[in-house]
Amino acid sequence: MPEIFIDNKRFEYEEPGKVLQFMLDNGLDLPFFCYHPSLSIPANCRQCIVKAGMPVFDREKGTFEVDENGDRVIRFFPKLMTACSLDLADGMVIHTHHTDELVKQAQADNLEFILINHPLDCPICDQAGECPLQILTYKYGPEGSRFEHKKVHKPKAIQLGPRVILDAERCINCTRCVRFTDEVSKTHQLTIISRGDKNYPMTANGQTFDDPYSLNTVDICPVGALTSADFRFRARVWEMNQTPSVDITNGKGSSTWLWTRDNLVLRVTPRFNEAVNDHWMPDAGRLAYRKFNENRVSRPHLRPDDSEQVRTSWNNAQLTVLEEIEKVDADDILIIGSPHASVEDNYSLRAFFSSKGVSKFYFVPHVVPGSGDGFLISDDQAPNTNGVRALEFEEINDKKLIKLIETGKPKLIVILDDDLIGRTSLTMDHLKQSWTVVMATNHSETTRAANLVIPVTTAAEHTASYVNVDGRIQRTVPAKETLYTNRRLNLEMSMGRLDHYGTKFDNWVSDSNRVDCIPAWEFLVRLDADRDTPEWVSSRQILDEIADSHPAFTGVTYERMDDENGIQLKLEQVSEAKTV
Amino acid sequence: MSTDWKSYKPLLVPAIPDLHEIKVYEKNGGYKALKKILSDKKKWNPANVINEVKTANIRGRGGAGFNAGLKWSFMPEPDGKPRYLACNGDESEPGTFKDRKIFEFNPHQFIEGAIIAAYAMQIEVIYVYIRGEYRPFVQKLQKAIDQAYDNGYLGKKIQGSDFSVEMYTHMGAGAYICGEESSLMESLEGKRGYPRVKPPFPAQRGLWGRPTTINNIETLANVPLVINNGAEWYLSIGPSTHPGPVLYGISGHVNRPGVYEYPAGMNIMTLINEVAGGVRGGKKLKALIPGGSSTPPLRADMLDGVSMDSDSLRQAGSMMGTAGMVVLDEDTDMVEVIWRISYFYDHESCGQCTPCREGTGWLQKTLRKIMEGNGEMRDLDILLAICHGMEGRTICALADAAAWPVRYSIERFRDEFEKKCKKTVYAVA
Repeated sequence: MPEIFIDNKRFEYEEPGKVLQFMLDNGLDLPFFCYHPSLSIPANCRQCIVKAGMPVFDREKGTFEVDENGDRVIRFFPKLMTACSLDLADGMVIHTHHTDELVKQAQADNLEFILINHPLDCPICDQAGECPLQILTYKYGPEGSRFEHKKVHKPKAIQLGPRVILDAERCINCTRCVRFTDEVSKTHQLTIISRGDKNYPMTANGQTFDDPYSLNTVDICPVGALTSADFRFRARVWEMNQTPSVDITNGKGSSTWLWTRDNLVLRVTPRFNEAVNDHWMPDAGRLAYRKFNENRVSRPHLRPDDSEQVRTSWNNAQLTVLEEIEKVDADDILIIGSPHASVEDNYSLRAFFSSKGVSKFYFVPHVVPGSGDGFLISDDQAPNTNGVRALEFEEINDKKLIKLIETGKPKLIVILDDDLIGRTSLTMDHLKQSWTVVMATNHSETTRAANLVIPVTTAAEHTASYVNVDGRIQRTVPAKETLYTNRRLNLEMSMGRLDHYGTKFDNWVSDSNRVDCIPAWEFLVRLDADRDTPEWVSSRQILDEIADSHPAFTGVTYERMDDENGIQLKLEQVSEAKTV
Repeated sequence: MSTDWKSYKPLLVPAIPDLHEIKVYEKNGGYKALKKILSDKKKWNPANVINEVKTANIRGRGGAGFNAGLKWSFMPEPDGKPRYLACNGDESEPGTFKDRKIFEFNPHQFIEGAIIAAYAMQIEVIYVYIRGEYRPFVQKLQKAIDQAYDNGYLGKKIQGSDFSVEMYTHMGAGAYICGEESSLMESLEGKRGYPRVKPPFPAQRGLWGRPTTINNIETLANVPLVINNGAEWYLSIGPSTHPGPVLYGISGHVNRPGVYEYPAGMNIMTLINEVAGGVRGGKKLKALIPGGSSTPPLRADMLDGVSMDSDSLRQAGSMMGTAGMVVLDEDTDMVEVIWRISYFYDHESCGQCTPCREGTGWLQKTLRKIMEGNGEMRDLDILLAICHGMEGRTICALADAAAWPVRYSIERFRDEFEKKCKKTVYAVA
C-alpha cells in the first residue's frame, strides 16, 4: 500500500487524494481558510503550506537512494507547497509546523498578512467564537502585528441580497462564497471585484444576491464578512446550545443544527450529511426558526359554542374530546393525518382511533409542483409525506376531502398538525358543519376554525422521526424546553453554559419562552382513560412498535439513525406525490 | 559576436519601409519559411520543426527565458480535440515596450512564426492576447492578419496544403497580471484574471481544459529566422546559451531611449553608452534595472563586463527578463524608484493569494513612509521580512516580482535607505 510520512510518522493511504484532506481525515492539524471539501481547490489563502519532498529514486539500482545512516535521501520541493492542492504520492515526506521552523514561521507570516487589513472587530463581530480566522490566529498566528499603516477601507454593511449582508473589510478573499454560487447553487451571482488588497465579493451591477441557497455562503465564510440578515447581532455563539435536527419545511429533510438560547431557536444551520444535503441547505429551511418561536399555540383552546375560543385546562380538553368521541359513531369520525407531523405522531393517531373503531385514515399531501429544483428543494413541502404513506394513511386531495365533508357524514373531524385551510381550498365553513379537533403547533386559519385546539410540540421540542422524499428516515432531538420538559432531566437535550450556570438574574435565563404543549402522542395516551398504565411513555417506544409491526420500518431505531445519519427505507413508492 | 555589433543588420524589425504591408514583407523574403515547410512536409514534419527550434535554443523573450522548442515538445500527442496556441502580447511591465515594435513594424514575421508554431504543435486555433492600451497596434496587427487571410496564409487549407489554422486577437483590459500565462488563459476564457495553480501545466490543461502553449510575441517572431537559416546560423548570433536577436528596450536617463535590435549578449555598458548615447546630461550611472521592473536592480559598479544574457546577468545578481533596461543616473532617489515600482505591484496584484495581496500593499505603504521621511531603521527589517514572507509563497510569480526589487535594492543601496530612515531620529528632550 502506498505510504506517506507526515512529521516523521508513517501513514498508508488507499485512494489518491490531496495531502490536506488526508491529514484532516487522520486527525492531524493544519490551518486553512479557502479549502472546503465540497468545493474546488483554489489554493489562494496559502495558509496550509508545508514542506514537501520525494525520495530520490535510483534508476540503475531500482531502489531509493539512501544516505550513510540508511535513511532515504529526500529531495524537497524548492518552495513550500500548499497541502490542499498537493497530491498524495508514494513515499512523499511532509513536514508541517510541528517539525519545521520555516513552515511554522511561514504560517505565522501568512496570518500576519491576512490580519493587516482585517478590522479586528471581533468584539462586535457575529463570527466571533466560531471564526476560523480567530481560532487559527490563536493557534498559529504571530504574537502581534508589525503593520503600522492605515488599513484599507472597504464598504461595510452592504445588503447583498434579502438574506445576506456583506462587510467587505472583514473579507479575506478566500472565494468560498464565489465558488459556492459557481459550483453548488450554480447561480453565479457572486464574483470578486476590484484588485489586490481592495478586492471583495460582490454581485454584478444592479443584481441582488437572491440565490435560494444564499445563506450557505454565510456558513462557509471563514470570517464575519458575510452575515445573515436574520441572525445578525442576535446572539453570541457561545451563549447558544446546538442540537441536531431535520429541516421540516421541505420534503428533502436536510440535516440541520438548531441553535437555541433561552428556549428560543435563533438560527438553523445545515449539518453535514453526505446522503442528503452534504454541507448545504436551502434558505427557506432556515426560516423555520420562526415557526418554532412565534405564533405558537400554548394551552388548549376550546370554543364552547359559536363564540370565540377560550383557553382551557388540559383536563377539560381531554374530557371534551372523549365526550365528543362517545357522541358519534366510529364511522362518522374523519381522521386526517399530516405529512407535516412525525411518523410517531401519525402512528399514535392511527393506533388510538383504530381502537375506537375508526377504519379510514386520510392525509392531504402538501406538494407544489414545479417549486423544486432537483437539488435540496423538492416539490414536496412537507417533511414526512413518505412516512404517512408508509403508515397506510390514504392519500386524498383537497377536492375529494371537501366532497367527503360535504356529504355531511363526518360528525367529528380530527386534524393532526396541518394548516389545511391555509394551504388548500378547504374553507372554515366546511369545518363548521362538524365538531373539529385540531392538534397544532402554531395558530393558523385551521386552528381558528376548530372547536378544540390541542397545542402540540414542534420538531424543535420532541424526539421524532421523519421520512424524506427519497425514503430516508431521520430524527429530531428536542432543542427547546416545553412547560413539561427539562434539560437537566432529559439526557438528550444539550446543556449550554447558561443552562449549567445561569441564574434568573442572567439575561438569557427565563421560563418565558417555554410553550404549554405536549407531543401529539402523549395527548392521545392521556385520552386512553381506560388503561391504568399509559400505553407509551416515550416516542422511542412508539418507534419500536412501528419497527415491529411495519416491514418498511424493520430495524429502525433512534440509535441507528444517529449513527448512520438516517436510514434509507425500502419504500414501495418513494417518488414525490403528484396530487395537490 | 558582440564585437561587430555595429555591422549587425536587424532581423526582427529591419529598416524596410512599409514592412507591415504583406506585399513588402513577401518581397523581402516573407512567408518563405512557411512555404518551405508546407512544400516539403516530409522533411519538415512537425517533430522536425520542433527539433530545429529546440536546437536553435530560442530563449523565451517574455521574461522566463525558457527554450521555446522544448516548451513546444511538452504538448501531448493530438487526440482530435482542440488545442491552442496563445500568443502573449500583453507586455505591461514597466520598462518593457518591445512587442509593440513588432506589431507596428513587422507584424507578419510574428504571424508567420505563430503559424509555424501552430503547424509544429498541430494546433488549429491561435489567440493573440494584446495589451488593451495598444489599440493602434492591435489595429495594425488585425490589418496584417486580414492580409494574411486574404493571401492564403491563414484560414482553411493554407497555401493549398491540408493545414488550416485560425488566428484571433483578444484585447486585454488593463491588467498586468493577465500577462502571466495562466491568468492570460483565464482572461481569454472570459474569466477574472486569476493565475491558475500548477500543476496541471498549460500543455496538459490550458485553455478550456485543452493542451495549450503560450509564447511571447518576440519569441514567435524569431521562429521564421530559424526555419529560413537553420538552427546553426541562429546559434551563431550572440552567445549560444542565449542566442538570437534581442529587442533591447532602453529607457530612463539616457540620451537616446528606444527599442534597439542587437544580438543577445551585448555588453551592458556598450548598450548604454554607445547604442543609447550615454547617460543623460553627462551624469554618472547609478543603477540599472536590466529587464523590466521585476528584475533586481544592479549598482553601476556591478555592471563591469556584464552582458545582456541570462547567464551573465544571473552571475551579476539579476535577470534578463524582457531586456527592458531602465537606466538610472546619479541623481536618482532609489527609495522613490522602488516605491514607485512597489506602487505598481500593489496596484496590479490580482488579490488571489494572501502574501501578495497584503504584502504588496504593506511594502508600498512602508516604502512611502520612508520616502516621505518618516522612516525608522526597523522599517528596513520589516521590509525584508515582508519580502521573505512573499517570495515563493504564491501561485504565480508576481509576489516574487514585487519582492525582489525591494529586497535587492535594500541590499545594494542600503546606505540610501538608511539615510532616509535616520532622518526621523529626533532628540528626546
